[in-house]
Amino acid sequence: MSGEDAGVYLLSDDLALVQTVDFFPPIVDDPKAFGRIAAANALSDIYAMGARPLTAMNIVAFPKKLCGEVLEAVLLGGYDKVHEAGAVVIGGHTIEDDEPKYGLAVTGIVDPARMMTVSAASKGDALVITKALGTGVIATALKAGMAAREVVQAATDSMMLLNRSASEAFLARGVRACTDVTGFGLMGHLSEILNASEVSATLWEGSIPLLPGAVELAAQGMLPEGAYANREGVEVEAPGVTREVLDCMYDPQTSGGLLACVKGDRVDELLAELRKSCPRAAVIGEVTGGDTGSIKVLPGKE
Amino acid sequence: MDVVDARGVACPIPVTMTRNALEKSQSAVVVLVDNNTACENVSRFANSQGCEVEISQREGGFELKLTPGEKPVEKKADEKPTADVAFLVTSDELGQGERELGLRLMRMFLYTAAESGGKGTAVFMNTGVRLAAEDEEAAASISRLAGQGWKVLVCGTCLDYYGLKDSLKAGTVSNMYEIQSALVGAGSVVSL
Repeated sequence: MSGEDAGVYLLSDDLALVQTVDFFPPIVDDPKAFGRIAAANALSDIYAMGARPLTAMNIVAFPKKLCGEVLEAVLLGGYDKVHEAGAVVIGGHTIEDDEPKYGLAVTGIVDPARMMTVSAASKGDALVITKALGTGVIATALKAGMAAREVVQAATDSMMLLNRSASEAFLARGVRACTDVTGFGLMGHLSEILNASEVSATLWEGSIPLLPGAVELAAQGMLPEGAYANREGVEVEAPGVTREVLDCMYDPQTSGGLLACVKGDRVDELLAELRKSCPRAAVIGEVTGGDTGSIKVLPGKE
Repeated sequence: MDVVDARGVACPIPVTMTRNALEKSQSAVVVLVDNNTACENVSRFANSQGCEVEISQREGGFELKLTPGEKPVEKKADEKPTADVAFLVTSDELGQGERELGLRLMRMFLYTAAESGGKGTAVFMNTGVRLAAEDEEAAASISRLAGQGWKVLVCGTCLDYYGLKDSLKAGTVSNMYEIQSALVGAGSVVSL
């Protein structure tokens, strides 16, 4: 398999090992929140495949002078989320580095028959996303000192949210096509699903959930480098769509939501359940049978 | 003409350099960048500030000429303080002398301000943040001001420094960018 969110190793007919690793430099100022975000982000690949995380190993690169309380707070934040995920931290490794970095390698299990992949989307499926977009823009604005406190808080809360309940809700309704929205942005990850499943998609601008402040900050030039790279990577047809909303759809996300393709008749019930844990979950478009990989953005559902 | 050389630095630094230059300069500013990301981000920022932007390609990058529009360059209309007057409170004492008197005068000043109505912005910095966090009497007056629609900005760095972040009783935690815009945008600033 290629283009999946995590590595899968078949142990027996009904059991596969799922492994993933992710780490990065601090994205927010509060060390505990950073730890929580890094862990939620690392666990996300496991959830995107419909797997259950079992164990996690810390990966730490830290400058000596911050190795006391700051590192402790980061690790505690990480433990919090791993614990919430029902998994355990069983070890890790630390090296000295000028720029702090933290993340985890996570191992989980899945029944291959129920696994969610990027290649199972079909025409007519509703596209569901479980978190609002804009974490890359807001992290950039935070670095520039241009993000208001409430804006940073909302983005932080969103990034700390585990994709566990979203994954379980999808699995319970037999969803088979899913990925998580991270570095390649909504457009990049959607494009992966469409190409792997040989389908196309239509998105509705008005339905895209956006973090508060993201559009305003994009208009002020707070786009991260990755957003431009993602735009180069995926061409879409989006006449008349607000530039800044489109920017957010290309914005690289840290610990973004799950993006799933759901059979039409199950969407309303699913959305109602999702919103209990993911308040910004939304149906943002549908899978269509056009040219493989093509994406069209319309102002709203016709 | 001011020239900002933002070559060799990664986003968002070119934008913050541009912002600082525009805030200081009365006339056009030239910004040099060496990649597309910085070029588009700086151009967007300048547009959002009401500047006209001329982009020309140069060896190894771009030159952006930013000409401020009619309006003075600052934050978006909806982020501007609605009020004319801003109180800048940088100490918990009013004036220099006996501490007890200074503190009492400051409490009286805030009480009187809350009694007089009107609208404005009150900014609390350095030991001034104690008034919004530790001093019950002053915090009560500050709360009343906020209740009347005053914008009350309390410096987050200062709260952190004095370990008061969790004890803030009145006002909103703010940053230097917001504080600076509020002071620049005010009709008159009263320093206390």
